[in-house]
Amino acid sequence: MGFPRQLTVQQVTAIIISTVLGVGLLPLPLFAVRAADTGAPLVTFLGVVLIFVGLAFVTLLGKRFPEKSIIHYSEDIVGKWLGRIGSLVIIVFFTVLTALAAREFGEVVIINILPATPMEVTVIVMLLTAAIFVRNDMNTFAYIHVFYLPVLFIPNAIIIALSVGDSDALYLQPLWGNDPSGMLPGIFTIASLLQGSFILTMIIPFMRSPEKAMKATVWAIVLAGLLCLSIVIATLGLFGPGETQHLLWPTLELARSITIPGEFLERLDIFFLVVFVVAVFTTLYGTYMFIVYSLKQLLRLQDHKLFSYFMLPIVFVIAMLPQNTLQLYEIVQRVGTAGLCLTVLYPILLYVIARIRRKKGRMAA
Amino acid sequence: MSLRFMKRKYHKADPKVVSGNLEDTIRFIQDALGQNEDFVTRRFHVFGHFSAVMFYFAKMVNEMSIKTDVLKPIMHGPPHLDDKDIHIDELQDVLLNESIYHSDAELENQLATLVEELLGGKTMIAVEGLDHAILIATWKIPERAIDEPGTEQVVLGPREGFIEQLGTNIALLRNRLQTPGLRVQSKKLGRMSHTKVAICYMDGTTEPELVQEVERRLDNIDIDVIGDIGYIEQMIEDNQYSPFPQLQTTERPDKTVANLAEGRVAILADGSPFAILLPVVWNQLYQTPEDYSNRLLMGNFIRIVRLIALMFALVSSSLYVAFISFHPELLPTDFAVAVASGRAGVPYPAVVEVLIIDVAMEILREASIRLPTQVGTALSIVGVLIIGEAAVQAGISSPITIIVVALATIGSFATPSYTGAFSLRMLRFPLIILSGMFGLYGLVIGILYIFNHMLSLKSFGVPYMSPVSPGNAQGWKDVVFRFPLWRFVKRPSFLDPSNRERFDQEETKRLSRQPSHTRD
Repeated sequence: MGFPRQLTVQQVTAIIISTVLGVGLLPLPLFAVRAADTGAPLVTFLGVVLIFVGLAFVTLLGKRFPEKSIIHYSEDIVGKWLGRIGSLVIIVFFTVLTALAAREFGEVVIINILPATPMEVTVIVMLLTAAIFVRNDMNTFAYIHVFYLPVLFIPNAIIIALSVGDSDALYLQPLWGNDPSGMLPGIFTIASLLQGSFILTMIIPFMRSPEKAMKATVWAIVLAGLLCLSIVIATLGLFGPGETQHLLWPTLELARSITIPGEFLERLDIFFLVVFVVAVFTTLYGTYMFIVYSLKQLLRLQDHKLFSYFMLPIVFVIAMLPQNTLQLYEIVQRVGTAGLCLTVLYPILLYVIARIRRKKGRMAA
Repeated sequence: MSLRFMKRKYHKADPKVVSGNLEDTIRFIQDALGQNEDFVTRRFHVFGHFSAVMFYFAKMVNEMSIKTDVLKPIMHGPPHLDDKDIHIDELQDVLLNESIYHSDAELENQLATLVEELLGGKTMIAVEGLDHAILIATWKIPERAIDEPGTEQVVLGPREGFIEQLGTNIALLRNRLQTPGLRVQSKKLGRMSHTKVAICYMDGTTEPELVQEVERRLDNIDIDVIGDIGYIEQMIEDNQYSPFPQLQTTERPDKTVANLAEGRVAILADGSPFAILLPVVWNQLYQTPEDYSNRLLMGNFIRIVRLIALMFALVSSSLYVAFISFHPELLPTDFAVAVASGRAGVPYPAVVEVLIIDVAMEILREASIRLPTQVGTALSIVGVLIIGEAAVQAGISSPITIIVVALATIGSFATPSYTGAFSLRMLRFPLIILSGMFGLYGLVIGILYIFNHMLSLKSFGVPYMSPVSPGNAQGWKDVVFRFPLWRFVKRPSFLDPSNRERFDQEETKRLSRQPSHTRD
């Protein structure tokens, strides 16, 4: 058997896209508009660019060490103990990120479709789904992500297409917004919603040809970025900057506002939401896999399955910590922005040090 | 046969081989087989003076053929050798080459093999002074006529199905694949049943490692009796706890041949009118031979209809439960009112109602299989029409529930693969319960589990959802729509065939050229 290097560029692209796009899409227009009213598309674009920069360095590092993930090569670059501490912080951060995503979606489900169900149930159901399938190997991980990719794009595309008719181009001007002061934190917030892409570092060692990793990165960020951008533009065009700021999940409101011809169904938002379950699952699945796999690598174990259920209660408890929706989003923004240090700054730093110290990994024949 | 048993009893006169002493051989065979009513021991003299014995199981052989092709010529001796005195040293050759008229005769000196072959229906002849016995394939097992396959009927297409005799089934395959590439390897499985199992594949097309893996898994089987090919299926399958069949069973020779030509392996077993095809991917669950033999648009139309039926079978009842109990606001108002008035007298929540009707439907279905055919029609009328009507009138269920459950049931009948339809039927119940608990959210979670499970399944190393994920452009030509036959230039790559090309690329060009008219 040997080292199973089987993932193609398309599969890696799919993994990044479906991990990036998740529950973050729901409040995305709100964060963008809050930061720079009509400049929301610009803020989104810059956020995407920022995350691309971070991911580009992760890719460069991956190409430099094609056999290793960040957990292993950070030890080579900055030394054993510093590297391990960095890895541990990253794992903890992704644990929190997974927990918050599960909690956010639990919140969305409770408020919109299942008001009588306890929050714990919806959260644990999502986490359990991810935990069970984390036990699969990396190939199956890729198959699952590829399979659900159309589910991410088609409903969003339909909603955007159907809402274009009612939107107003005036809501999008001026392009740079009216108040540039909120721009910078806005960019960080948007970028923080997309930092699931960091799991690429775990995937590169499984690629059939790691030198093509940059292709996957570019494609993934372009496609995911386009979807984010069009959602922000569609929402802003339909509701305007004033109205969008009063909506907690503007994307969902966008789905609520449209009807399909034929009067087949009265409302579409619930359908959108349940299809969104799949998007959330793929995100949780990606980040959960990252936690479990990185723990395995950090502790130098043979098998990652061990941690799949072990981490479940930990993630669950973290998910239950926020008191309410408002506090939850406060935490999401703070933690997310702080996390950028790890997912953007840390790879850049590592890359620079690796260049200076001339550290390089070899590709086994 | 237990060799150890023989060793213990006959350790003195080397028990393994025929000794040349006729009485020893007779004693050995009779001790090994015991007293049986249908076992014949016939003593006679070869060419009038070599004493010999013949054994066979009377009901398994063609006695007519034994009389005329075997017994008569070796009692009289060949006419052209009439005067010559045959020496004992030549006897073996004369017997085999000049006397016996039967086409399949061979020499054997291993006693254990002799006993085994006797049990398989061959006739054995031992002669005093010869250290080999002669085995003649005179077996004739009663077999039924080739019939239309019961589980996979088609409107347009061949009507023949496999029967219980392995030999006949292989003949059916050979007749349809007249190429030296078709290889049939046989094995005997089952400690007591010694069932003959045949592995069929196309040499030069099928991945050799796949054949090796099949052989390896078959060799690992250790069981007393192979009751049916289903026993083998369960023992070589990748995941036995999965609701989805990872091997395909079929009664149709034409389907088997098509799969062999794609690079799959077929396993047939004596006593079973089914062949196992492997590896299997999920889209084979809804393919039928008719998809290909029908004209393009027709074939595609029925396939789409079948896919919709498949979805109905899986989700219609749970979708109904989710709508009624959690999201009535999604339904158009008029319809919602109609549903509500239909349910007015029903005391249970929608989940319980649907479960009751669904379980009743399953009982009906099971009962109609077990019932004798004469009573069957009566039952289906009583069961479906009268009970259904009465259930609505009695207020146990609403009319729409009956419609929804009926749709699901009919949908599962439209699935061509019986085992595939079974898995959908089974999975319907957890989905109904999930929908009853969490509405559409529960339904989607359930479907997510099903798909994730299918994505992580493998059938002999081939990912179950193969042409879809991991993707493969050639495979996509046969997932939802069936492309024109001349577009299937290559064999599916997930089977890893040694010979990718089905036919020349030129064929596609030839077919797209302007046809010439005879009248021009």
